[in-house]
Amino acid sequence: MRDALTNSMRASHVLALVLLAAGLMFAAFGAVTNDTFYLRLATEALIFGGLALAVDILLGYTGLLSLGQAMFFGLGAYVAAVVLIAIPSFWLAFGAALVAGILTGLIGGFIANRVRGVYFALITFGMAQVVAKVIYNTRSLGASDGLIGVPIVKINFGLFAVSSDNPVGFFLFTMAYVGALYLIAAYILDTPFGRLLIALKANERRVPFLGYHATSARLAAYVLAATIASLSGALYPMLRGFASPELLFFATSGNAVITVITGGAGTLIGAIYGSVLLTVIKSYVGSWTEHHLIVIGILFMLVVIFLPNGLMGVVRPWVEKLLARKTRS
Amino acid sequence: MIEVLDYLQFVLAPQVVTGLTLGVAVILVALGLTIIFGLLDVINMSHGEFYALGAFMALALSWIGVPFWLLLVLVPLAMLPIGYLVERSLIQRVFNSKDRHVTTLLLTFGFGLVLEEIIKLLFGPNPYKPETPIRGAIEVFGIFIPNYRLFLIVAGGAVIVAVALIVYRTRWGAIVRAAAFDRHMAASLGVPVHRVYAIAFAFGVALAGLAGVLLAPIYSVFPTMGRDFILLAFTVVIVGGMGSIAGAVVAGLFLTQVQAIASLYISPVWSDPIVFGIMVIMLMVRPQGLYGRLGHA
Repeated sequence: MRDALTNSMRASHVLALVLLAAGLMFAAFGAVTNDTFYLRLATEALIFGGLALAVDILLGYTGLLSLGQAMFFGLGAYVAAVVLIAIPSFWLAFGAALVAGILTGLIGGFIANRVRGVYFALITFGMAQVVAKVIYNTRSLGASDGLIGVPIVKINFGLFAVSSDNPVGFFLFTMAYVGALYLIAAYILDTPFGRLLIALKANERRVPFLGYHATSARLAAYVLAATIASLSGALYPMLRGFASPELLFFATSGNAVITVITGGAGTLIGAIYGSVLLTVIKSYVGSWTEHHLIVIGILFMLVVIFLPNGLMGVVRPWVEKLLARKTRS
Repeated sequence: MIEVLDYLQFVLAPQVVTGLTLGVAVILVALGLTIIFGLLDVINMSHGEFYALGAFMALALSWIGVPFWLLLVLVPLAMLPIGYLVERSLIQRVFNSKDRHVTTLLLTFGFGLVLEEIIKLLFGPNPYKPETPIRGAIEVFGIFIPNYRLFLIVAGGAVIVAVALIVYRTRWGAIVRAAAFDRHMAASLGVPVHRVYAIAFAFGVALAGLAGVLLAPIYSVFPTMGRDFILLAFTVVIVGGMGSIAGAVVAGLFLTQVQAIASLYISPVWSDPIVFGIMVIMLMVRPQGLYGRLGHA
């Protein structure tokens, strides 16, 4: 017996497989043409897709709009950069970003979850501003220049190793990494805990009457989102060789929200599709005008007005129907 | 003793005056934000871009020779129809959606992006430095105050008082407060609620434009000028209480003084984290802010 949530997750997985296939084709194409620029761009799109994934866990499933998710993304990037500059080990940086994500998520969640609705959006926004400004002013973290000189890392998997300066290898690795984050998020949201979050989104006051503790469920969702954002951010200095305070600014958080809304909130995979789509628009429109934000802004406004469920809100029900027909026959 | 007086006169007092100038301007912007929130329940994320639009309008009009005094009237008047149209054609479209706060926040955020980019397209990304319309300085109790700053404080203060009088002492204000308190009841008593919404939005946007005109000669004019400024205005609105006019005034004066004094004693770069920290703490302990909402006592 499968319920609506499991069915929709299955549809998301199918769409994820489509994206994976497209990504593999893209990687093969990039390897043949010996491309660096577009592979790096696609890798970046996936990394920011990870941040959008975190926003979607809060917005699409728990009903909390975070305007400061970039704080965790940037913290992950800085933690990874600091570790990598000291000891160039991927797994150490990964572990540090994981711990940092959980800890800062607990602290941030404790602060933010005291308030609801629009105040939640504003408090996440305020926290991110404070942290961003503190990092911006801290000389030992490079202040406004950011941390530069992050070395190239070899990501060792025992049997083989991927170097971060290999465009194809690092793109494939990032795809697997963000894919794993997606699967973890999808798995957790498909458990009874995930259904509890959806119940919180639908009606928070009724949840305690069913015997659940609303506050701790919301905190757990917040920590999950913080950790995913931090782990996504950890890849950024490996790709670009630096971490800059801009990663924590509102522009980054706002971009992640635009990505999720355009891709489709509450679909998880929509976050990744949205990130890819926006990157394509940015580089395509950006090739003939520097004012690509006009196009993205108008597209975003149109989506908010006419497609409140985003791109995947249109595509996914269609995939769901297709899947349902297949299982029936 | 003399050292203390000298310190007050040459170090502290100028800083307080600078803070007051900024405070008056921030209150003008925050008033628009807070009226729009109090009445429409909408967080206008494009408010900072309207502020920038006002400054750029003033800049463009001054190029064709319009005197500064006229700009103070013309720019807010020109902002009114823009605000009215934005409310009618954009915000009303999603006004009745399931989650109004989030949807309108996102929509105005998108609109702000587009507006900022259009300004960038028209004027380029570089800052302009308009001439100060009133030159010279005046000595008040031994403190030198540039004439223009004094004018800004007086004129801005007058506008703030006028707004408060309009909202609390006129028939128009009563209609706005009634609509904010209970829109259905106001509507059933014959208040054209939707038109009131659009006019109030336009009014708030015009105040932002006026702040842009007033501040342009002090700070430079550039397309992203609204960004940092609006963060401060948001903080003022949150600390004062979303939708409270008195709160915006009190918090505006308080926070800009905190900023001015903190940059003196700690460091200018740390004034921002301190002010935003106050906002976060306020949201934690008293999310509704210092004062109650518009129309609610």
